[in-house]
Amino acid sequence: MSNTDKQFVTITINDKEIEAVPGSMLIDVADKSDIHIPRFCYHKKLSVAANCRMCLVDVEKAPKPLPACATPVNEGMVVWTKSERALTAQKDTMEFLLINHPLDCPICDQGGECELQDLSMEFGSGTSNFHEMKRVVVDKDIGELVATEMTRCIQCTRCVRFGEEIAGMREMGATGRGDRMEIGTFVEKSLDSEISGNIIDICPVGALTAKPSRYHSRAWEMMQTPSIASHDCVGSNVKLHTFKKKLVRVIAAENEDINECWISDRDRFSYQGVYADDRVEKPMIKYNGIWKEVDWSTALDRTVEKLTEVSAKDIAVLASARATLEELYLLQKSMRSIGVANIDHRLRQVDFNDQESSGAYPSLGMKIADIENLDSILLVGSNVRKEQPMINQRIRKAALNGAKIMCVNPLELDFNYDVDAQRVSNPVEMIKTLAIIAKASYILSKTEIPAGLNDLFTSVRLNKADKVFAENLIASKNSAVFLGSISMQHPGYSTLRALSKAIAGNTGSTLAYLSGASNSAGAWLAGVVPHQKEAGQKADIIGKNAGEMLSKTKKVYMLLDLELERDSDNPQQAKAAMNQADTIIAVTPYANKTLLSLADIILPSAAYAETSGTYVNAEGTWQSFKAAAKSYGEARPAWKILRVLGNKLDVKGFDYVSSKDVRNELQGLCENVNNENPVSVEGIYTKLDDVTSQSLYRIGNVGEFSGDSLVRRATALQKSNPEQNAVQLNAKQAALLGLKDLPTVDNEHAEKEVMVDVKQGEVVVSMPLLINDNIPDKCALLASGTKSSSLLGSAFGEIEITA
Amino acid sequence: MPEIRNFTLNFGPAHPAAHGVLRLVLEMDGEVIQRADPHIGLLHRGTEKLAESKPYNQSIGYMDRLDYVSMMCNEHGYVLALEKMLGIEAPIRAQYIRTMFDEITRILNHLLWIGAHALDVGAMTMFLYAFREREDLMDVYEAVSGARLHATYYRPGGVYRDLPDVMPLHEKSRWHSDADIERLNQTRSGSVLDFIEDFTNRFPKCVDEYETLLTDNRIWKQRLVDIGIVSPERALQLGLTGAMLRGSGVEWDLRKKQPYAMYDQVDFDIPVGKNGDSYDRYLVRIEEFRQSNRIIKQCVDWLRKNPGPVMHADHKITPPKREDMKGDMEALIHHFKLATEGYCLPEGEAYAAIEHPKGEFGCYIVSDGANKPYRLKIRAPGFAHMSAMDELTKGHMLADVVTIIGTMDIVFGEVDR
Amino acid sequence: MIRSIKHFIKSFTLFELFQGLGVTGKYLFKRKVTIQYPEQKTPMSPRFRGHHALRRYPNGQERCIACKLCEAVCPALAIDIEMEERADGTRRTTKYDIDFFKCIYCGFCEEACPVDAIVETHIFEYHFEERGKNIITKEELLAFGDKHESEIAKRKAADAPYK
Repeated sequence: MSNTDKQFVTITINDKEIEAVPGSMLIDVADKSDIHIPRFCYHKKLSVAANCRMCLVDVEKAPKPLPACATPVNEGMVVWTKSERALTAQKDTMEFLLINHPLDCPICDQGGECELQDLSMEFGSGTSNFHEMKRVVVDKDIGELVATEMTRCIQCTRCVRFGEEIAGMREMGATGRGDRMEIGTFVEKSLDSEISGNIIDICPVGALTAKPSRYHSRAWEMMQTPSIASHDCVGSNVKLHTFKKKLVRVIAAENEDINECWISDRDRFSYQGVYADDRVEKPMIKYNGIWKEVDWSTALDRTVEKLTEVSAKDIAVLASARATLEELYLLQKSMRSIGVANIDHRLRQVDFNDQESSGAYPSLGMKIADIENLDSILLVGSNVRKEQPMINQRIRKAALNGAKIMCVNPLELDFNYDVDAQRVSNPVEMIKTLAIIAKASYILSKTEIPAGLNDLFTSVRLNKADKVFAENLIASKNSAVFLGSISMQHPGYSTLRALSKAIAGNTGSTLAYLSGASNSAGAWLAGVVPHQKEAGQKADIIGKNAGEMLSKTKKVYMLLDLELERDSDNPQQAKAAMNQADTIIAVTPYANKTLLSLADIILPSAAYAETSGTYVNAEGTWQSFKAAAKSYGEARPAWKILRVLGNKLDVKGFDYVSSKDVRNELQGLCENVNNENPVSVEGIYTKLDDVTSQSLYRIGNVGEFSGDSLVRRATALQKSNPEQNAVQLNAKQAALLGLKDLPTVDNEHAEKEVMVDVKQGEVVVSMPLLINDNIPDKCALLASGTKSSSLLGSAFGEIEITA
Repeated sequence: MPEIRNFTLNFGPAHPAAHGVLRLVLEMDGEVIQRADPHIGLLHRGTEKLAESKPYNQSIGYMDRLDYVSMMCNEHGYVLALEKMLGIEAPIRAQYIRTMFDEITRILNHLLWIGAHALDVGAMTMFLYAFREREDLMDVYEAVSGARLHATYYRPGGVYRDLPDVMPLHEKSRWHSDADIERLNQTRSGSVLDFIEDFTNRFPKCVDEYETLLTDNRIWKQRLVDIGIVSPERALQLGLTGAMLRGSGVEWDLRKKQPYAMYDQVDFDIPVGKNGDSYDRYLVRIEEFRQSNRIIKQCVDWLRKNPGPVMHADHKITPPKREDMKGDMEALIHHFKLATEGYCLPEGEAYAAIEHPKGEFGCYIVSDGANKPYRLKIRAPGFAHMSAMDELTKGHMLADVVTIIGTMDIVFGEVDR
Repeated sequence: MIRSIKHFIKSFTLFELFQGLGVTGKYLFKRKVTIQYPEQKTPMSPRFRGHHALRRYPNGQERCIACKLCEAVCPALAIDIEMEERADGTRRTTKYDIDFFKCIYCGFCEEACPVDAIVETHIFEYHFEERGKNIITKEELLAFGDKHESEIAKRKAADAPYK
């Protein structure tokens, strides 16, 4: 009987008997039993390279020490990790590793948290025998996010393997052999991956460090506070590092259920936005067009005055879905208690039909970790790679396990895995494309087509090739239909949602919402939607939704952490509404020029990392965090501002002492939330006008780094992604404008910059043009949330481009 | 009939004879002490607690500041405890240096004690003579460590630097002629060891002078003899150590009983008293001057003949040489890590004690395996002596309190820690 | 018997008191050991640990590279450093404060410094006239180093072989 037939083998490490799964590597087994074996190249999430030789251990009957990371366990194996032979081998390895390492510790950011230092102290010799010249490697410029000092590299190739295996892009590679081996990008270029920052965490030495926090502080003087990232619905676990109570660095925290040990670059580097120039220091009131700094009680009294002097019907309350659960709940509770029903957070949504039947909150319907076990996945209007990089990570794992990935998108997106079937059509056609797939699902599942869909289905023709989508979903045991943010911004969202629901229902798949912001689910649960109170209860009066609040002017607007010209679907419309309003009260950490010109009262709130709170992620996990940094000036956590406001408005039950009290209250209410999704497929077909031949249809999904006020102020991220500020067309469409040899998104002709005029509504904005052949004809990709698009109209609508 | 009550008197904390910040609440029946209640804590700096938040080496400097008249001895107690935990031993030359400086420190301490004690009791001149000799020894302190008092010189694994080959010289000034300068520099022309040897040759005569001034002096005797008598049994029970114990006739000296450093390699005797009164303790300490002098002479002799390393070579604990650090990767890493994190002690606990000029000074370290102590307890001899205050003063006159404080050789730095 | 007679005579003639007076009387005519400070000073070792200074390279470049080892090793937490990346890519301090009230002059900062930037000099005569002046800034430390550089260099060279 061979060992592999048995469930466990027994091995002995340092005279301790350990049961292990046959075939698992020695280092894994040792790690699980808290036996420390030194290592550089081994990383539990990466493949085994066994090239650093640091993990050499003494194995009985082996002629020489074996690398623990590449030695599978066998029945009866006897291992010593601290025997003289093992220690000598490790010591010698350490000496070789240090031969070419520069004497950089004093100026190296890794100093103090460097694995090379630690292992040198623990396993290395105290003095060197090497007196020759050390080699020098020329540094590479790999972009705005990662600083390199390649002389420090010990060629563990973790970053190379990370690129190949996790990021799915071979960005880093090794060239040369022996002591001339160098790690670098093959061609001089910047890192492009949305999770490239993770190579900073995995680099055991100071070769790859974070550029934005370069030379800011030492590892030992930073305070570490566990927290939750705030830029997508994943809720990645992060560790915030503060120096003198100022946020200076963010690194990934491990949570196998959510983000494993990776985080996106957006979550890692957005912290720079906390200390933007336009942070508000003190409460301000505008008197006759002139801003005056006032104290808190004056500002809050004025707020109460403004809120109470008009009828509740004339008050509109808009909140960011990035605000914490506590803030959103207190806002909702205080505003509803004074009779305000117009309350919403869905500023980028256009189509609000059918909102009553959309369940208590948009949910993934499964655990994030379960995504990797799916057998087939249909993405509907989702740029998941850029929008939820950590979900994409799970999808990639599923794809590598053989799952079928399919997508329906308004443009061809760049995925880091193979897509088995995809349909790309302009946004208007996208509904029809999805309808075809839905029709196929009805036919294949032999379900009766509801009457409401008949019209739509008769208008489309089903080809044989279109059946593959439904076939794959039906054939799979675990399948899911992901509804992404592009769909949610889409003018025909309710139709897309109903069709997706129908597909999911017919094929036995889960319908999963990938909502745009970190706390969308929380906003729904807190009741910051016009038709629902907290915990999914029906509202007494159904108020106006965000679209209505901004299309028809209200007298008083209360904004929570919002920059309407960049956070709403239609900046032009939002600004027009604001201009006509009597009073605008903004609870915000930042006050940009637009806000200063529009608002009347500004209540400075604490920014990310300065407040405690809770985010509810897409899978419905409540994750609380504490404040890490000192708040700026007189800014106060928004939940405290809203609590005092509630007190001043004489709202009952507003005696919260901590944000935990607020959370506990809401959590108690949410215990029995029923999140059934009774989407009706009857009569939801939104008829969209076809794109006219003269104009182009804008695809305005949110830019990678322009989704919220924090990330928009993160300077390094902004510099690293100039494409999001450009308007993108395919070459054919550009040729129609009479333009040729234009710069492309792949950095061809990058030397020249071509500016074009983009007209939407009455406004003309000049912006750079890039060629992206993934965009369908008659369409232009123009991200919303960016500076240039803040002057334009709706994210999905017609625009004109002139050279 | 009028009620007769005891009179309560506050002695200190700002009394010149209170040796720092002793506050003694005395209950007096007329001139006679009924009860003495020492109040401590006015110089409490939380040394033990502070040490819990610092890597081990960073607390060495705070040890100097415990008993600030016997600096290096305090350091010795601390580094000995560390070395015991680490299981290392300093190189032999470092051990000799430590032995020598422990004895230099003993002389420094006793000089200050005799000066202050005599001054308290009424002999002014002693103070001046004692400080004259202290000056030379403090120059030695400065020459090796860079500070006249707070040396921070001992390190686990040895001492920071070897003894310098030259002694700093007097410089010319308009107050002294060239001939004067030459005379002043005469003893300084050689190495530090030469200077120390010269001192040891001069010193016995100085001790003779002190004795001429005090030993037979009738006032001195009247003030000291039969004051603060402790029986040997009580001395042991009260936890007295050092001269306080030996004055009562108990022959107990850690240098002989539990030899550390190089004390088992040098010849010296332990003086013991007979009556256990202040006068006997005075005599014991005077003899310790001579014995210390003897030990120093032997150390100087050995150190002259035997050059060698003064620091342990294991760079996991002791930082590498500066020159290596600047050119050698391993050395730089070790220097960096030792400066920032220090070293970790194995989990466990250790107590190490030395014969401090005042008695048994010990450090008790509990380690949880980290780079800072889980708990550090300092056993200061003065604290036990202080606790005996009530017993020693009971029945004596008010003026004798001053003598008893003097004979105890109280320094508040270590009592209050 | 003889002893008690001796004792009687000695106490009667105040013998031991005169003996003591002899000792003090002798010193009346001896050369004074007093040092006339501040005109005259006692000898000072090159190891002396006094006022801190930040040194420069001979080309005028600051030595300090903001590695923060001194800050980490300082037992009294007296040193406060902030740093930045200069335009030329070098790592330099923007703030180097030493609180002289906190400092215990242990010399660890000098021991830890890998580039001999922070040193403790021979200067021990200094005072502060205003609250807050006890915190010595980077500019003051550099200026102090510039002023005494030759003496500092001499003293550090004298002690270098022992370190």
